[in-house]
Amino acid sequence: MTVTDAEPATPAVQRRKAGSGEIAYRRAGQGHPVLLLHSAGGANEWGPLQLGLVATGDLVAPDHPGFGLSDDLPEIHTVDDLVYHYLDLLDGLGLAQVDVVGLSFGGWVAAELAVHSPERVRRLVLGAAVGLRIPEAPVADLFLMNPPQLMRALFHDEALVTAALSAAPTTDQILATYRDLGALARFGWHPFLNDPKLERRLHRISAPTLVLAAGEDRLVPRAHAERYAARIPDAELRVVEDCGHALHGERPAEVTAAIVEHLGAEK
Amino acid sequence: MKVNFFHLMPYPYLPDDFDDVEKYPSPSLTFSNAHFDPAIGVDLYHRYLDELEYAEAVGFDGIVVNEHHQSAYGTMPSPNIMAAALARRTSRATIMVLGNAIPLRGNPLRVAEEIAMLDHLTKGRLLSGFVRGIGWEHFGHSINPADSRTRFNEAHDLIKKAWTEPGPFSWYGEHYEYRYVNIWPRPLQQPHPPIAVPGAGSPETMRWVAANHYTYVSVYAPTKVVKTWFDGYRAAAADLGYVPEPEKIGMALPVFVGEDDASAHREARQYVEWLFHRGLRQGLEIVFPPGYMSPAAMKGLLKANLKAYPELSYEELLEHGYVVVGGPEQVRNRLGELRDELGFGQLMAMLTIGAMPADMVRRNTEIFAREVIPELKRAPVPVSS
Repeated sequence: MTVTDAEPATPAVQRRKAGSGEIAYRRAGQGHPVLLLHSAGGANEWGPLQLGLVATGDLVAPDHPGFGLSDDLPEIHTVDDLVYHYLDLLDGLGLAQVDVVGLSFGGWVAAELAVHSPERVRRLVLGAAVGLRIPEAPVADLFLMNPPQLMRALFHDEALVTAALSAAPTTDQILATYRDLGALARFGWHPFLNDPKLERRLHRISAPTLVLAAGEDRLVPRAHAERYAARIPDAELRVVEDCGHALHGERPAEVTAAIVEHLGAEK
Repeated sequence: MKVNFFHLMPYPYLPDDFDDVEKYPSPSLTFSNAHFDPAIGVDLYHRYLDELEYAEAVGFDGIVVNEHHQSAYGTMPSPNIMAAALARRTSRATIMVLGNAIPLRGNPLRVAEEIAMLDHLTKGRLLSGFVRGIGWEHFGHSINPADSRTRFNEAHDLIKKAWTEPGPFSWYGEHYEYRYVNIWPRPLQQPHPPIAVPGAGSPETMRWVAANHYTYVSVYAPTKVVKTWFDGYRAAAADLGYVPEPEKIGMALPVFVGEDDASAHREARQYVEWLFHRGLRQGLEIVFPPGYMSPAAMKGLLKANLKAYPELSYEELLEHGYVVVGGPEQVRNRLGELRDELGFGQLMAMLTIGAMPADMVRRNTEIFAREVIPELKRAPVPVSS
């Protein structure tokens, strides 16, 4: 994707009442609505992926409770709670049916949402998604990693790792990351980033689904994408080669193009 | 001043290449229990229990056991079992369980029951500590660190109610639900055994411990930092109109007393280094996993900018007050200074430091009891520093 001078201004963060507080979200673009469910490290992000989705649809990009600019909403404690949280959000925004793009942790939430209410999801994208319980190929324990280890697990290209580690983080950045990972722990410490019941419910998903796997994912073994693709009735598995778990963080143009194409495809 | 003997029960037999930190990032969580030799372990447990019993015999007021999991740093996953082993082999000393890591327990009523039993076995010589459990123990027992604080609070409330209110009653909480709470036995001490809680500077903990009139205990921090904790605890109590007795403030501190100052340092150095450089080798990731601390508490920690334990030299450990080592006179003076500066009325002296051999621990205990305890007991503890 080419980022040009004509690129639209970053839409302002909006706030919206939810549960015991407020969530933050951005919304921009026109066309069919797209709900983007971010990864653990992807809250409050605005980059090539978001721009690509804005160019082709009406993008709604919220921060999950406890992440980014959203309040903690401690009453939302499980991924099951998050499903109801997002159903409330869709109802509140008057969105009967959306495309859902979920990345990593957000992919788990997206899959659960599509299992719960298949009729609300027109097209589904699961990118390097966690959520399945595969004891023989477990997701790496990112909670045990120090920052350099985590960066090496996220990016395949060593230059990206070096760049990410080149500047010491500010105290505010450390605290924001600690809060985001704390929210991830809230939802995914135990069972570890999975719902043991999810796999046998995936048959309920009716949306055409693109399952994206990172070719060199050191956090989520390939078996997870393969299992999603095998159990979701109308699913296509696509592997982004030479790419780490961060997907659009590592290969923004290729990943964005694949997602935009899937959402726009005639089916 | 109450003077107590605190044991960690470490497993000292680490591999020769343990200083390879890439290979052994910590003696906890990931350090394989293939390194635990049961034939050695059996002797260690009995040796360590002997050391606690000896402490009572030579005049310590209390003997202290604690809880750690999946670690060579401390081998008491169940402190209640150790307290039970000591209950009928001792007759005078307070047995301090410091403490049960209640967020790690799936069933806090089991803790209420066991402590009530221990209270009877010790004929009311029991102190019941409650701790959060270290971060790595939340990995090890698959307990969500983001739930740790609320699990601690709820388990405490439930245990205290089970001890103090007639059953059966029901309990509906965020983490626990019981249709019938009706523990037998009830505790011997009324309304319940005294409670102690360690703190590490969190203002929430200080306020909570003060509001409940529990004992607040520090461990492994520089004197200037411990002072802010104890001052914070006293200030929180003052806000509640309460002046804690000195015995409600405790300091856990590794101490070695040699025959004289020079020989004490010569003897103790390697064991102090074992404790801080090996026993306490642990990355921030396993000590403070995500969610374990509030962002505010994490901010305080970053601001304090303390060195990791393995980065502190022996000299720094002494200078900043993490440990006290010396001949009898030096140790008496140093502990007296700390008492006067910090205002603690409970000393939890850790006299088995790291891999220290049995004969040295015995001598340390004997000299400490003979040369240090009388002096500590003679001088008053300042009520407020």
